[in-house]
Order: sequence, then C-alpha cells, then structure tokens
Amino acid sequence: MDAHIKKVYVPMTETGFYILLCLRQEAHGYSIVQKVQELTNGEIKLTPGTMYGSLSKMEKDGLIHFVREEDKRKIYIITDLGKEVLNLEMKRIERLYKNMTEVR
Amino acid sequence: MNRKKTVLRYFTIADWKKEEEFLAKMHRDGWKFTSLNFIGIYHFTECEPDNVVYQLDFNPDGMAHKDEYVKMFSDCGWEYLQDYVGYSYFRKPVSQMNGGDEEIFCDDESRIEMMKRVFKGRLIPLIILYVYFILAFFLTLNTPNSPVLSAFYVFVLLTYSAMFLSFGLKFYAYYKDVKNK
Repeated sequence: MDAHIKKVYVPMTETGFYILLCLRQEAHGYSIVQKVQELTNGEIKLTPGTMYGSLSKMEKDGLIHFVREEDKRKIYIITDLGKEVLNLEMKRIERLYKNMTEVR
Repeated sequence: MNRKKTVLRYFTIADWKKEEEFLAKMHRDGWKFTSLNFIGIYHFTECEPDNVVYQLDFNPDGMAHKDEYVKMFSDCGWEYLQDYVGYSYFRKPVSQMNGGDEEIFCDDESRIEMMKRVFKGRLIPLIILYVYFILAFFLTLNTPNSPVLSAFYVFVLLTYSAMFLSFGLKFYAYYKDVKNK
C-alpha cells in the first residue's frame, strides 16, 4: 500500500468505513445507505452527495471496483487494496475499543 | 393558472450556500423554483408555501455520468432540478425527512471535497486567464504608444485581484464554518 492511500484512508471517515464494510459483498450506493441505516438503528443516514463523492473517489483510488450496472445503479465490490485498508481500520478501531473498555 | 415570477439574482462562484437559502426562502414564501437560465434569471411559479431544502452540488464526475448520479439522489428522495455552470440543483421537502434538516452531504470531509471541486472547476480557469492578462500587460509595456492598452490591462488585473481576494475570503469563511459546525 503506498503512502498516499494510507495517509488519505487511515484513519477514515465513518462514511468511508461503512462503504468498505458493506462492499465485501456486491452492492450499489443506495443499498449501502439502507444497510447502514439498518445497522445503526437509523442513527447514521448517509446522504447522496457524500455517497457519490466517496464512491467515485474510492473507485479512482482502487479501493473498490465497478462490477455492473443495474437499473442505472452502479454496483461495486471491494478490491484487495480495499480489503487491506479495511483491515487496518478494523485493527485500529479494535485497539481503540479495547483501550476504551480497559480504561473505563 | 398559476402565477409566474422571474427574479434576476447574481451569485458569485463561492456563494452556493446563499443561493440555496434564497431558493428555500422563495419556496417558504410560496414561490417554487422552476428554472434558471443562462443569464442568471430565476423562474418561479406560485405554490403552497412549504419548507423545502434546496441543495447545490458541484461534481463534474457526476455530470459525466448523469443517469446514475441523478438516480443516487432520487433514490434518497432528492428531486433533481437542473444544471447550471457546473452546479447541479436538488430539492427535498422537510416533511419527507425523518426529523430535522437533511443535506446532501453528511460529513465535513465531503463538504470540503465539494469546495475543492468548485475551486478546481471554476477558479482554476479564471487563474489561467489572469496569468494570461499579466503576460499581456507586460508585453504592452515594451510596445511604444500603448498607454490606453496598458491602462486597460491594469484595470482588468485590479478587478481580477479584487475578485480573487473576495473568493479567497469566502472559501476560507466556508471552510471555517464547516469546521466549526
């Protein structure tokens, strides 16, 4: 992983994290919005401007790639690089969580 | 037959927040935005006053893939209105939002990313033009008997400088506003 990707994506935004988490399976933008709403009991509502920008940026950076189009919705899936970034983030968040519970 | 109204308003490059507020206020006053033409005239038709959020995005990538771009917004309940000099216009009634003010961006990173896209898409072409005028100005200095032309270039350069200063301040104010929210 080159330094640029690491600098931009670790740590990453909540939006970015949920996108990668959801794209371990094929999905389109709006299904990610719905999935995240479900996962967070409606507390996190991703919005289209943010989603569109993040998806195209992640595609450009090679974290996800385009699979096919269905009814004008672009379906993506995570790439190996994307998985690497997601793993780094998961480890970071696990450490954060562990430290939080220990100190509390 | 609904009454119609046209309003001439000019918003500069970095004024999209003001423009959104202007359109929302018109709707609250019972004037629904229908279109904006190339010389900056806004068209409205009379409607029931309503709280509607208007939002502008600036996304060249989305413009190049119009269908899927608009689909993403309509899936989320945003009505696509039109494009104007690189901006795309959307609206959504507050009554369709589950509690509170929804926007098309949900984090600061993406708000700032949009600002950068505006900067790249609108300001860089102006900067290139600015550099051209600077070069042209210095060329006139070497040409005898062209004080009028030199004066013209000085005028253009000063106007441009004032404009850039104003944009710079607005971008900075927007940046600070996002960060402080």
